Amino acid sequence: MDAKCVNPFIDSFTTVMPQLGFCDIKLGKLCAKTNEVSGSGVIIVLGLVGDVRGNVVYMMETESAKKIASTMMMGMPVEEFDEMAGSAVSELTNMLTANAATCFSNIGIKIDISTPTMLKGENVKVKMSSDQILCVELIADGIPVEINISFEN
Amino acid sequence: MEKIRIVIVDDSAFSIAFIRNILESNGYEVVGEAGSLEEVKSVVKEKRPNLVTMDMTLPGTDGLECTRAIHEIDDGIKVIVISSMMDDEIVANAKKNKVSAYIQKPFDADELIMMITRVMATEELYRYLQKEYFPVFKEALMDGLNKMTKTLLTYKDEYPCSNEQLSEGLSIIIGIIGKFAGRMLIDISKETANNVAAAVFKRDPKSSDEMVAALSEFANIIAGNACSILNRKNKALGLRVAPPSILTGDSVLISAPSFTTMTAVAESSLGGFLLNVGFTKGDAEWMQNA
Repeated sequence: MDAKCVNPFIDSFTTVMPQLGFCDIKLGKLCAKTNEVSGSGVIIVLGLVGDVRGNVVYMMETESAKKIASTMMMGMPVEEFDEMAGSAVSELTNMLTANAATCFSNIGIKIDISTPTMLKGENVKVKMSSDQILCVELIADGIPVEINISFEN
Repeated sequence: MEKIRIVIVDDSAFSIAFIRNILESNGYEVVGEAGSLEEVKSVVKEKRPNLVTMDMTLPGTDGLECTRAIHEIDDGIKVIVISSMMDDEIVANAKKNKVSAYIQKPFDADELIMMITRVMATEELYRYLQKEYFPVFKEALMDGLNKMTKTLLTYKDEYPCSNEQLSEGLSIIIGIIGKFAGRMLIDISKETANNVAAAVFKRDPKSSDEMVAALSEFANIIAGNACSILNRKNKALGLRVAPPSILTGDSVLISAPSFTTMTAVAESSLGGFLLNVGFTKGDAEWMQNA
């Protein structure tokens, strides 16, 4: 697995986020991890199956998730990360991953995506089947979102 | 099989006659016509069709407003848009409004018939999956646990899940992809996780990595077996599983997805299990002719 697996996710983020009302998209840190990622807040897992099998895990702080949900809902204030906000952010990861899958198909790799599973908690550790996870941080209007991508070898 | 009952929405008498002719000569029953929002509401309420063909440009309304009105009456009614206009934005809006298929004019009879056949077959297949999947997954968990750890599992309760749920400590998530997308989630306490791993290895796991590896394989076998059984029952499902992800953390809440999932709660001598599985129709039935 190499860095080219990350590009479709970056392309997808830069395409999808402006459509949802975010203006300023920046690329943050890029790193490789072994088989575990950790964080607190909102964690969303999607499965990938096709020419490659794997998972993508989106992680963001609860405050970030609230801001994203608020922008997606035309600036409606989001006090609590409630069901409505959760559904918006969950749908966002679905759109981002589906769009990345389209980018993969443009370079000849066919991938289908599962439904997102969303969890909220503190000090969450996620273990994935591959021993290499590529992690990219993308920032929309100052709000960081971490995307962790793992493909089976 | 009963005839599929269809309502045609269009403001042009020519288009209605053209579509009606195609439908009737292919064995469908045209039960009504409408050319305005009011007519759409009254004919759909009265006739309860299986499917509606929908023009996009209508006097005083549009095809998507009419589609929403139809789904307010009955969200099981399938809508196929037939329009001369088709671009990415219109298509995206149609999907958002739960249109099942989009046909651009001009079209020929075969295209329309193929779309209707596929939309109705997808609906039928989804209903089949909804009826079949949960007993199969429950059986797969019981069978997998029995074969891998020689432990009996007893189901205590099952219910459709609509609220978020506090994790017992460790959640295993497996994404499922095929004609319909879904996921399987198994939630257990860390103690149960350790017990399962110990029973699989017939000794205590040496590290948390080893425990996770055992549980990944355990979950993978359960989801894989369940999907194989469902695929054997109906090949069109084409279900495949993504690799497992295992989550642990402090007071983790598992959110209920926007579609209905089923939860079962079970007991064994290794500890309690929560099994949650669900599938969404999603974009699976989306079709267009260009």
